[in-house]
Amino acid sequence: MAKGNGGETIIAHGVRLEGEMAAEGDLVIEGEVHGNIKTTGDLRVGENALVEADVEAENAVIAGEIRGNIKIRGKLELFPSSTLTGDVVTDVLAIGPGAQVNGKITMGSAVATRASRKSEEAE
Amino acid sequence: MYCYVYDEFLQDRRYERDLSLIETRLTDLGIAGKIARLALFRDSHELIRDEIRNGATTIVAVGNDRTLRRALDAVGDTKTVVALLPVGPQGVLAGLLGMPVGVLSCDVLSARIIEELDCGEVNGRRFVQSVRSEDASFVARTKNYTLTPLKKSSFEVRNLAEPDDAGTQSPVDGRLSLIIRSTRFGLLGKRQDVSIVPFQEMMVLFEKMTEVMVDGESLPGKDFAFRVIPKALRLVTGRTRKF
Repeated sequence: MAKGNGGETIIAHGVRLEGEMAAEGDLVIEGEVHGNIKTTGDLRVGENALVEADVEAENAVIAGEIRGNIKIRGKLELFPSSTLTGDVVTDVLAIGPGAQVNGKITMGSAVATRASRKSEEAE
Repeated sequence: MYCYVYDEFLQDRRYERDLSLIETRLTDLGIAGKIARLALFRDSHELIRDEIRNGATTIVAVGNDRTLRRALDAVGDTKTVVALLPVGPQGVLAGLLGMPVGVLSCDVLSARIIEELDCGEVNGRRFVQSVRSEDASFVARTKNYTLTPLKKSSFEVRNLAEPDDAGTQSPVDGRLSLIIRSTRFGLLGKRQDVSIVPFQEMMVLFEKMTEVMVDGESLPGKDFAFRVIPKALRLVTGRTRKF
């Protein structure tokens, strides 16, 4: 169970978010998200979480399910319980045994920064 | 110029000694000022506004949480500095603001560490601490997203409060925090799930008519519009403040 830690945004189990969220600081998802999520900090997706959204964060640790494209400027860590369906852009990638990834993976710091800048310009 | 606003309950003789010690210490520190006493049939807003018009630059609420809230309501948008000088039984604000109870707070007042705190507003009513409701069905909506608890949950919109399972929220960050708590029953027993979402403006829409508690006072309604007013309050704080 996630506990508040000053500056964090937490979507706990049993709560659904629909729409576009731009968070400042770390973002923890243990519930459901449908839409787009972006944070300037780190992202953590819990084992029972369901995210149907495009995701952007500094670093991420994923233990649940994500259906959408993911852009991580730093390190993306996929736990064995994670399932990703969508394209991934990241600088560093760690995939635990049993994690499922269905999509295109593009890696390298230059690529991750370019992809992040492109989405900022598009806004 | 300091103006000390004494709450009505301080007329009780048991506070005489404390008040005498405080008045002596304030004189020693060079921050004694006019004393105004709140009374049952006297409008506290008018009393405090008159003092501000007469040149008071700091309003010191002598009493407890309720005294401070009345002072903050009266000061409104004037940007006058407000302080709490805790005397008698206290709520949570003295501790949160780092103001010790009794004569010790005179020295803290004299040090004059002023913080500009955010203030919350719900349906036009301002609050310093929080707005809470019991378990109910509701939806929280901003211009970009909607949050829906999937079962009955309690909600709290917090500006300033004691640290708890929702952590610590800062009252100087220009945001309020929506805290949604729901209970889950599992094999290992009951557990509580806590969501925390910082925001600047939000609507909370209840399924049925509900009573929410705004800093301990009831406000009935079905739709509640929240917004933060950044740096609305200028408060004297102590070094042991909890934010």
